[in-house]
Amino acid sequence: MFSTKNLLVIKSTLFVASAMLFVACGNGEAPKEEAATTEVVKTDSAATEEVSETSYSLPSPLQIASIFKKSGMKYKADLTSQVKDPSKYTTNLNKSLNLGVYSADLSYCVLNKQSQEAMRYMKLCRALADNLGMGSVFDESNLTKRFEKNLGNEDSLAYIIAELQMVTDMYLDENDQQQTTSIVFAGAWTESMYVGSKVYEKGKEKGLNTKLAEQMNILGSIVNALKAVEKKDPAITGLIADMNSIKDIYEAMPSVKNNNPDSDKPMSFTEEELSQLTKKIEELRAKFVNG
Amino acid sequence: MKKIVFISLIAGLVITYGFTTTQTMDSCDKKNLTASCKKKLDEFKYDSQKFSKINFQERDQKLEVEVPVFLGEKYRMVFNTSYLPKNVVINVYTKSKEAKKREPIFTTKDAPEGTKEFVFDAPHIRNMFIDYDVPIDGSNPKLSGCVVFMVGYK
Repeated sequence: MFSTKNLLVIKSTLFVASAMLFVACGNGEAPKEEAATTEVVKTDSAATEEVSETSYSLPSPLQIASIFKKSGMKYKADLTSQVKDPSKYTTNLNKSLNLGVYSADLSYCVLNKQSQEAMRYMKLCRALADNLGMGSVFDESNLTKRFEKNLGNEDSLAYIIAELQMVTDMYLDENDQQQTTSIVFAGAWTESMYVGSKVYEKGKEKGLNTKLAEQMNILGSIVNALKAVEKKDPAITGLIADMNSIKDIYEAMPSVKNNNPDSDKPMSFTEEELSQLTKKIEELRAKFVNG
Repeated sequence: MKKIVFISLIAGLVITYGFTTTQTMDSCDKKNLTASCKKKLDEFKYDSQKFSKINFQERDQKLEVEVPVFLGEKYRMVFNTSYLPKNVVINVYTKSKEAKKREPIFTTKDAPEGTKEFVFDAPHIRNMFIDYDVPIDGSNPKLSGCVVFMVGYK
C-alpha cells in the first residue's frame, strides 16, 4: 500500500506526534521544555513588552495603618468614609477606588479596636467587591464568618484582613485584573493619608509627621504602577493626573529638596508644608468618596 | 488514500502542537505557590505578592519589580521558582537597574542546584528592587514559566 519511503515519513511523523501528545497530556505541574522544533516562531510583541518593563508590588492598606498606629496615631471617630450606600459608585474606577477607601478604613478601625465600625466596613468592602464581580474572595476559608467570630480580638482580625488581602491579590492576578490592584491601592493610600493628616492636625504628634513624610515616598511607585496598567482602562489616565498633582506639590517642597534620599535619618515636614499637603489630599479624597 | 492518511497526520500534529503551546503558557499553579510561600512567612504577616511570567528569549533579560518598603519595619521575602523550566538568578537591590552603582543585598546565584524556594529577611531599607536575570534560550520560542515572591512584615 505504501512505498518504503512514504512508510518512513509516516513512521517519523507518528513518532513526533506521539512525543507531542505525551507533553500535551502533562498533569499541569511545572512546565517542561517542549520538544525542539525546526520551525522558527517569533515571540509575539505583547509577550516581549510584558517581560521588558519594570513592574511594581505595592504594600497593603493594613501595613500602612499598622505603621501609623505604631507611630502613636490615635483613633478619631468620623474621619473615615461616611458613605453607607456603595451603590452610588457606578464606574469600575469609582468602585475600585472606594473599595480601597473602605479597606483603609477597615484596617484603621481593626487596629484601633473599633469592632462595630470594622464590621460595617467589612460589609461595605464585600458589597463593593460583589459589585466588581470578586465577592467570592470573602467566602474563601470562611473569611467573613471568621471575622465576625473574632470581633474584639484585634490580632486575629488583623490576620484575617491580611489573609483577605492575599486571596484578593491572587484572584485579581489570576483574572488578569492587575489594574484593579493598583487602583484599589491608590484609593487606600489616599484615605490612609487623609486620616493620618487629619489626626496630625489635631494632635501634632512628631512621630506621625515623620510617618506621613515616609508614606509620601511611595507615591512615585503608585503613579508608576498605574502608568503600567493605563492601557487596560482609559479612566486611569485621569487618576494618574490626580495623583501626580499631589506628587508635584510634594517634590517642590523645601524639606523634600533638601533631603538626602539615601540617608537613614527620617524626614519630616514643616507645618506649612503639611498643611498644604493635607489640603490637597483632602480635595482628592473628597473627589474619590463623592464619586 | 495515502494522501488522506498523510494530511490527517499533519493536521493532528498541528492541533497537538497548538495545544501544548497553550498549556505551557498557563502552567502556573498560583494557588499552590501562594500556599507554599505563605507557610514560609511564619510569624510575618502577609503584605503582598507578585507573580511574574517569564518568556525565555534569544537574548538575556533583566526583569525588575520595585517593592516600596518602610524604614523601621521588618520584612521577609519568599521566592518560589518551582514553575520555571530553567534556572533564573534572583537578585535583590536597594536601587533600581538604572542606578550607576549598586550591590545586591540578596542573591540566589550560589544557591545549591535544584533549590526552588528562597527566604530572605531584609535589613532596614527604604526600597527593594527584585531583579530576575533570565538566561538566553533560543531553542524554543514558546518556553515560559512563572516566578513568585511574597512579602511579609512584622
